[in-house]
Amino acid sequence: MNDMTLSDAKRGHSADAVFDARIAAASVEADGVLSLHLASLSGSALPRWTPGAHIDVILPNGLVRQYSLCGDPDLATWRIGVLREPASRGGSKCIHDEMAVGDRIQLAGPRNNFKLVDAERYLFIAGGIGITPILAMIRQVAAAGLPWTLLYGGRTRSSMAFLDEIAGFAGGDVHIAPQDECGLLDLQRFLGQQQQGMAVFCCGPGPLIDAVEDKCRTWMPGSLHRERFAPSNRPPLPKGAFEVELARSRQRLTVPAHRSLLAVLQEAGHSVTHSCTAGICGTCLVKVLAGVPQHNDDVLSDEEREAGGVMLVCVSRSDSELLVLDL
Amino acid sequence: MVDVRRVRGGDGLQEINAEIDEILDAVVEKTRHATVEFFVAYDKNPDPKVLAAWLAPRAWREIDYVFLLNEQIRRYGLNFSRTHITLLAKQSFQEAEHYEAVGKAIESLGGIVPTIVPASAKPWSDFLWDCLERHPLAAIAAWNVSETSASGSFEPTFEAGERHGFDEVVRVYRQIETDEKFHVGLGRQILSRYAKTDQDREEILRAMRGMRDIAWTTFTPESVVIENA
Repeated sequence: MNDMTLSDAKRGHSADAVFDARIAAASVEADGVLSLHLASLSGSALPRWTPGAHIDVILPNGLVRQYSLCGDPDLATWRIGVLREPASRGGSKCIHDEMAVGDRIQLAGPRNNFKLVDAERYLFIAGGIGITPILAMIRQVAAAGLPWTLLYGGRTRSSMAFLDEIAGFAGGDVHIAPQDECGLLDLQRFLGQQQQGMAVFCCGPGPLIDAVEDKCRTWMPGSLHRERFAPSNRPPLPKGAFEVELARSRQRLTVPAHRSLLAVLQEAGHSVTHSCTAGICGTCLVKVLAGVPQHNDDVLSDEEREAGGVMLVCVSRSDSELLVLDL
Repeated sequence: MVDVRRVRGGDGLQEINAEIDEILDAVVEKTRHATVEFFVAYDKNPDPKVLAAWLAPRAWREIDYVFLLNEQIRRYGLNFSRTHITLLAKQSFQEAEHYEAVGKAIESLGGIVPTIVPASAKPWSDFLWDCLERHPLAAIAAWNVSETSASGSFEPTFEAGERHGFDEVVRVYRQIETDEKFHVGLGRQILSRYAKTDQDREEILRAMRGMRDIAWTTFTPESVVIENA
């Protein structure tokens, strides 16, 4: 068992469930890029992961952000790289400005939608903070002694994280291309012609991915693997709406402004005991694992409201973008 | 576990909260004791018709609540908030559902669902309606005690259900148990919100004390009357 706390274990959480961890170390990797080393509260190893995996970080302000794991999968701790987004709505800003070594932090995952596949050789293309999943891939490919190429772009050299670490990996053909020195990445040179046995992995901003997809249109299907920064590009929820994640199934539901959380749960096929639907009987009480509930009931005590560990889903809503419920 | 007696929404009961809690605790305990005694007797003679007859006053309570709550709304409802009118109407609807569900359970046991007040429930019914005549909050106080009393019967009923396998009765009362938390919380909130004067509080206590001495009596083994079909 490699979960974090006894209470997590009692809740029957798998490695996919929300759990508490702590920030064991932090370091500045480049202009605006901070890396956090995350450790379990008990000192035991965090769940194992594979290159390309990401985790959810549930911030104290209730926001949830996804970050790729970029450390060494053989270590007991995890590492993420966090870029301070200029237009941050509180995610990266919170991590950069408000969190410190020693703080507790809620995590979920890891999950991997960007898995490294077997190939004879690899072309890695990274834009900006998109280097984070690529970094873990390079580590594995280099350790296996397979040939690899990295095309890594960024606004300026000082904004590009992990350059020293990349230089330490063996067997690679590394092309560092800061935009202010080299212009845009020369994709034509690397992707203009299909190369047999090569897998292409790309992570970065949307325009880079679009350009890489365009170049790879004539390649064999399945050659290109990419991960967009989709979560941060997602439009904000309408006013009054919020999301819930059901910890046992990992299902995510959106609660519109004009509908109750109970109604949304029922519509999604989840049976929750209830009676009054007015916040009086308390029978629809649900445990809150993360996020900030907005209590609209008439029956929870001041202490229960303040603690935020339970809510009545018939009338209560969320003050954070996301609530994680023990359902 | 949420304590519906601590529901928010008013401070009109502050001076008498302690006594109200004593009354509620007492009626729960008396009802629990009466229910245990009934099932001790039932264990010796587990005749489904006896169980059906024991449930008959319970069924009557459900439909009598429907009549009473609707009259409560008609007569006094516009002195309450629209939300409270809605919630009282919702309670009334749930009581009607309970009448239907308990009725089906009684029929499944070979019993007869009452359509007039059973003799054993008459003191309870008379007292409730008398309260409605006396004061806008008195009937609510009375049914709040009566609804609370039922909570004393649930566990002994569920335990006996396991022993004797009357699963349908248990299923029905699991739902009633859930809904009664709402009814008890709603009653307490309304009393707390609208009780303003010492006279209001005196009428509330009078109704509660009176119902405390009545509500449990239809749970005893002696209260059971088997009517012929």
